Amino acid sequence: MNRLSLRVRLIGLIALVFLLGSTVLTVAAWAYARIAADRAYDRLLIGAALQIAGTVSVEEGQAVVDPPISAFAMLGLAEGDSIFYKVEAEGSRLLTGYADLDVPGGPVTAEPVLADGAYRGRAIRLVTLGRYLTDTSSPGWAKVTVAQTRSARSNLAFSLTMQALKMLVVLGFLILVAVLLAVHLAFLPLSHLGHVIRARDPNDLRPLNVPVPSEVQGLVNAVDRFMALLAARIQFMQRFIADAAHQIRTPLTALNSQLDLLRSEPLPAAQARHLERIQIRADELSRLANQLLDHAMVVHRGTLIAPEPVDLVHLARRRLGEIALLPLDRPVNLSLDIEGEPALVMGDRVLLGEALSNVLHNALLHGARSELRVTVGTRGGQARITVSDDGPGIPEPLWSAVREPFHARQDGRPGAGLGLSIVVDALRAHGGELLFQHEPGRAFTVILSLPARLP
Amino acid sequence: MLTFLAGVMAARAEGPPVVFFPASTAPSLVLDIAAATDLVVIEPLIRDFQTLHPEIAIRYRDFQTTDLFSLLQRSCAGDGRADLALSSAVDELVKLANDGCALAHTSPGVDALPSFARWRNEVIGVTYEPAVIVYNRLLVPPGEVPHSRAALIDLLRTQPKAYDGLIGSYDIERAAVGYLLASFDAENSTIFGRLLEAFGRSHLRELPRSADLLAELADGKLKIAYNVLGSYAYRALLAGAPIGIVLPRDYVLVLRRGAMIPKNSAQPRLAAAFIDYLLSPRGQATASARAFYFTPDGPLPRGVEGTSRLSAGDSVRSIPVGPELLAVQDRARRKRFLGLWRQALGKPLAD
Repeated sequence: MNRLSLRVRLIGLIALVFLLGSTVLTVAAWAYARIAADRAYDRLLIGAALQIAGTVSVEEGQAVVDPPISAFAMLGLAEGDSIFYKVEAEGSRLLTGYADLDVPGGPVTAEPVLADGAYRGRAIRLVTLGRYLTDTSSPGWAKVTVAQTRSARSNLAFSLTMQALKMLVVLGFLILVAVLLAVHLAFLPLSHLGHVIRARDPNDLRPLNVPVPSEVQGLVNAVDRFMALLAARIQFMQRFIADAAHQIRTPLTALNSQLDLLRSEPLPAAQARHLERIQIRADELSRLANQLLDHAMVVHRGTLIAPEPVDLVHLARRRLGEIALLPLDRPVNLSLDIEGEPALVMGDRVLLGEALSNVLHNALLHGARSELRVTVGTRGGQARITVSDDGPGIPEPLWSAVREPFHARQDGRPGAGLGLSIVVDALRAHGGELLFQHEPGRAFTVILSLPARLP
Repeated sequence: MLTFLAGVMAARAEGPPVVFFPASTAPSLVLDIAAATDLVVIEPLIRDFQTLHPEIAIRYRDFQTTDLFSLLQRSCAGDGRADLALSSAVDELVKLANDGCALAHTSPGVDALPSFARWRNEVIGVTYEPAVIVYNRLLVPPGEVPHSRAALIDLLRTQPKAYDGLIGSYDIERAAVGYLLASFDAENSTIFGRLLEAFGRSHLRELPRSADLLAELADGKLKIAYNVLGSYAYRALLAGAPIGIVLPRDYVLVLRRGAMIPKNSAQPRLAAAFIDYLLSPRGQATASARAFYFTPDGPLPRGVEGTSRLSAGDSVRSIPVGPELLAVQDRARRKRFLGLWRQALGKPLAD
């Protein structure tokens, strides 16, 4: 039941209510139609009875009756019905008509009395009325009873009911269309909401700014509250990590100076080798702590961007200059090309600089064998910094994984794998993205793409 | 004109004449018609019907209307049977249908009839027979031929001697058609009472059957007969009787002979086929040429005086085939009417 679509449930429920309602209405219409048909044909019956009663008179002290042709012609208006009648004088003395017609008892007056009955196995409608005769030997009421079978009434009631039923069917069709339309419209905000949530950046935990009907507002509020809790939680964790990294840096610095002191002393070869390894691990630890801090910084700044114009050429030149100072175990040729229009973006200079530094670091430390080329330019409204190297590059299956923080490194080399995720976050905060390009046998290219600032 | 009679006439002492029209193919089906219609009238229609349906044999019984009525009433109660009833006393058929003794028959031919010519498709008016004034051409001078009821009253008033005892009409106590026609005269005419008085002064001769009236007219025992069914009168005219036929100008009563399929009919399909034949163009053509002569929309038969077309004028008063006839069948009404009739004719009140 719970799995049934709301649409099906709503339509089913409405159909059920409508069917029950229609049944009740049809029965009611039939009952009403019967009453209406009875009313219509009862007039004929009463009219005919009055006409016959009008001919009841007294001749030579005897009650006589002369049923007029017009009375029967009037009854003939109920096409197809048989006519039974009976006229009795005071004391139930039969004057004319069907002797075995059962007349309902009760006092007779001039007021017509209608009743249902049966005659010779057929349902009939009777009217009885009286005419008081004074100048007979025994004054009293003459009783006129006229009855008719019900087929004209049934036909009329049936056709009236069918008319009502036809209207109900049309109404039902209209209701179905209205319900389908209403359900569709009612669910539009929900599907729109779903669409908005699906399309949302996973890191965007701001309240949903979607206008919805009041019924859905509760759901939106719940989602917003949940996202706010989540955001607070994440913020707390990030601050915790940043604090932790910061706290770790101080003992690390102390550790490093201790290591320096140790290295300045002559040590046996085996111990020197151990010291060397400790030094490497300590460096790794420092880098990790720095990256964690960087990441926290990026996340922090990303949420608080105060955009200013940033010249990407200038940025690239500076960061490339910094990179050039890094000690390397091999000669690498660095170059910077500028293509096309000046590459200006609106953004946070530090954040973008950190992002670029990370990319350059990565390329230099893990990629470039002998060549690292940086190109800056604007094309099609997008400002781009491309970083190409002649290294092995990142295998394509890992392209999406490396965008995530703390991804498991496949190459077994040291590092927390935070570098590119910092880049991704920084670029995302600017509405940009990180792309990879690899032509087999040729250079591996990382592209930082940002919306260009309109001149 | 009917030189060969394939049927076997069985004149039984106590029963009605029975004629059997065998089928020309074997095996055959038998349609049993109980009628109050002279054999000579119906025979051309039966034979023409049999040329269309050679597999149907017909047993034809010709009753007096009252006998036919009691037969049909008994048949309705389960005693005795007829497959098709055909009667000029259409009020009796309506009464039977009202009491649930009839089967309905619906066909295009029946539906084409005007609503007053059929009731519930159970009693179906299959003929068109005006009630006419018939006179003896040798005894009534042309100047005295009455062309309306008023003229007839005047004639009897101005020439009481010449017509005394020489005016005839149906005995309405014994001839159901006579009673039916008289009832509708009383409904339609304001001068019916005066007509009855005139009849009374002239010592109206009341005869039970059309044939008797026509025979006495031909023999000169009657000079004028009132309310004779036109079909019988015209047949006598064609047979050479010295009579003239007048359609009254004031109004013409038109009777439709009724056909009814009784509830217990063993051959309702054959009966329906016969009714449909009577209503078909071919049946109507045969009827107008050789059986009933008058039709609703055809020209008047040659030699009939009065209006040129029966359907044209307002003068036609059709006796409706419907519940109105129940009033005619009403016992008290009949008793009262017969009482008035007798009184007007100056006869002792029977009781």
